[in-house]
Amino acid sequence: MAKQLGFHINSSVCANCKACQIACQDKNNLPTAIRWRRVVLYGGGNWVEKDGRWMPNGVFSYSVSFACMHCEKPLCVEACPTGAMVKRADGVVLVNQDQCVGCRYCEWACPYGAPHFNEAKGVMTKCNFCEDLLAQGQNPACVDACPMRAIEFGDIAELRAKYGTLAEIEPLPSAKITQPHAVVTPHRNAQASGKGTGKIMNLPEEL
Amino acid sequence: MNVREWALITFTILAQMSVGSFIVLGIVHYFVVRKSGEKQADELSDRALLAIGPVLALGMAASLLHLGNPVNAYKAVTNLGTSWLSREIFFGVLFAVAGAVFAVMQWKKIATFTVRNVVAMIAAVIGVALVYSMSQVYMMPTRPAWNLVTTPVSFYATTLLLGVLAMGAAFVANYWYVQRKNPGCASEQCVLLRDALRWIAISSIVLLGFQFVVLPLSIALMAASGAAASAAMFVGEYGVLFALRLVLVFLGAGVLGIFAYREAQNAGHERMLSILAYSAFAFVLVGEIVGRFLFYATATHFGLQ
Repeated sequence: MAKQLGFHINSSVCANCKACQIACQDKNNLPTAIRWRRVVLYGGGNWVEKDGRWMPNGVFSYSVSFACMHCEKPLCVEACPTGAMVKRADGVVLVNQDQCVGCRYCEWACPYGAPHFNEAKGVMTKCNFCEDLLAQGQNPACVDACPMRAIEFGDIAELRAKYGTLAEIEPLPSAKITQPHAVVTPHRNAQASGKGTGKIMNLPEEL
Repeated sequence: MNVREWALITFTILAQMSVGSFIVLGIVHYFVVRKSGEKQADELSDRALLAIGPVLALGMAASLLHLGNPVNAYKAVTNLGTSWLSREIFFGVLFAVAGAVFAVMQWKKIATFTVRNVVAMIAAVIGVALVYSMSQVYMMPTRPAWNLVTTPVSFYATTLLLGVLAMGAAFVANYWYVQRKNPGCASEQCVLLRDALRWIAISSIVLLGFQFVVLPLSIALMAASGAAASAAMFVGEYGVLFALRLVLVFLGAGVLGIFAYREAQNAGHERMLSILAYSAFAFVLVGEIVGRFLFYATATHFGLQ
């Protein structure tokens, strides 16, 4: 069986510092509006008045760093009319920009918002797993940048053996849609995908 | 809404209108041949047939404006195995080619009537496949407001409604052209025009009824299947536009349809009939454009964006 690369995301220690996101943008020289890796803050609960004091009532928040999940069933690859979006033998999903027509159909299809349209180039761009760094035996930029060591990468079979198979906590969508190659260690307050009581707390311009 | 999204509205509306027109024209032509012979039928429909080509071409040209990198457009038919977008473009080009082949054969009277009929039938089937693949482009789990059976159904409803009314307008335009050029031929054409428009009026009223079932059904299905936010937009922020769409289609296909039906009963009312046919087409066209705008504007994304 071909090796399949994937990420382990440790949401239980993520501090929402966004170092992974900035490292990704820096390494890949992305325009400010394009973030291949993003950190989403999910939270909920409220405050209730009790004996003249305001008390937290189920207040929680946690962060999930996410990028392309290099899925088993990548809907972007299926949707792409030109075959520009491909799944490589090592499982990495890449967009061949010479082939891309810029129709943005992959963007509609992806439940993780992973393909990003580059206005200046007129084509799609996305996380390429820092393939050039991998080729030199180095780690992806996001992995090395994380001060909490919350991102790990490797063969998904090994990651799953180590960390289990959970790949869906709020606000990530159900893993059934595309079978993402990611393993999530949930925060203690994590809620199941589709059953969350909270909402995404980031400002729109952050995501 | 930006240029790219208007490109999609223009493309889908014009492509569906040309498929619908082609089918409606074929049906009308078939009945007129039986009633009045080939010569009169050709006189009624040949010029209308030639009008369909530019409409489709315009729609396909508009679709290029939707692309970030149109120089690669020719590569967009290379993933027919899995991509509905590829299939849409494939059937679009195939319909254009088959339609053009038929139009040339019909215009120059190449081959026999039967052979031309077979070519027209093939083109019509390709057109049906085109509208089907257009609808499948939008059927994806990440767009719950689109991923409903009402998407293909309403695309076909739009196809037929625009086809019927576009051809109504085309027959009227053709009638006045014929009358100017060759008044002797016009009396028979006048009878045919009134006959055709009577049936066009009946069809548009029936299609209107169908659409007024499909539209509420689609919103109910949205609400029931994970696109409640989209359903809410039809009565919330886009309520006025949605009402406008309903009113325009109701006035065009329904009210003007009834008047057109009545005016088509008696000779001598051709001028009034023409005004009704033109305005019914205009009302419904604008109504369908607003409807397609809402289709795109209300589609919420499932998952992270």
